[in-house]
Amino acid sequence: MTSIELATSVVLSKECGLAIINSKAPFSSTYGKDALDVALIFGSFEQKVSLFFQGDGVYQLIANQDGRLVSIKDYLKTFSAFEFYDIEDIYVCQQSLVNRQLDEAFHINDVQVLTSIEFGLALNRHQHILRF
Amino acid sequence: MKTLAVVVTTPPYSHLTITALTYVEAALVAGINVIGVFFYQDGAMHANKNISIASDEYQAIEHWQRLHQQYQLPLHICITAAEKRGIACDVIDNNQINKAFTVSGLGELVELTTKASRLVQF
Repeated sequence: MTSIELATSVVLSKECGLAIINSKAPFSSTYGKDALDVALIFGSFEQKVSLFFQGDGVYQLIANQDGRLVSIKDYLKTFSAFEFYDIEDIYVCQQSLVNRQLDEAFHINDVQVLTSIEFGLALNRHQHILRF
Repeated sequence: MKTLAVVVTTPPYSHLTITALTYVEAALVAGINVIGVFFYQDGAMHANKNISIASDEYQAIEHWQRLHQQYQLPLHICITAAEKRGIACDVIDNNQINKAFTVSGLGELVELTTKASRLVQF
């Protein structure tokens, strides 16, 4: 497929859901927790929500972290409840991992690692986007 | 009919809030149906009556109030974000909440998002 055909098929398959982009590291601000609260509320109202991790936001997915070591309530543990809220589409930007020399070792299952182009196309399938 | 919902995450003293206000007012003037503004994160600080910004600076709160009165624009603040920032929301008629704002939860954001053809975040 050419890029134009690809783009057209993406537009045609536009889902009506919310994409939340996580772009901040987990423990230096409350952005990650604020984004999580939004995701869980959408999930509990049975609204479709997908999570995107990009830039320093990818640190939120890395395994073996414990916020309690720096006296922060470890909201990352709640990520394991995504299944329960029917949050199934979790995407991470491969380039952001590479730039930070991070392995694809995540603390939750079913994270999809996408190239920058795939990441953009996946975002484009959503009706609304919020960024934290 | 096209509907617009707006999310404001910046505090009343932020210059980015001026952009949000200019945008919302332009939409209202153009006759677009703005179904509500949801104030999240530091945006919740807009509802704090005790905030006082030097008189020669941009009065974001006054402008939101004006849009609320002029266009019946619904202004929702997130209760969790507000309480975290020292705005007591448990008592009605208290001296802290600006009456132009409605104390809501994140459920209101879900409602606005599902109703809006477009959602814009500041």
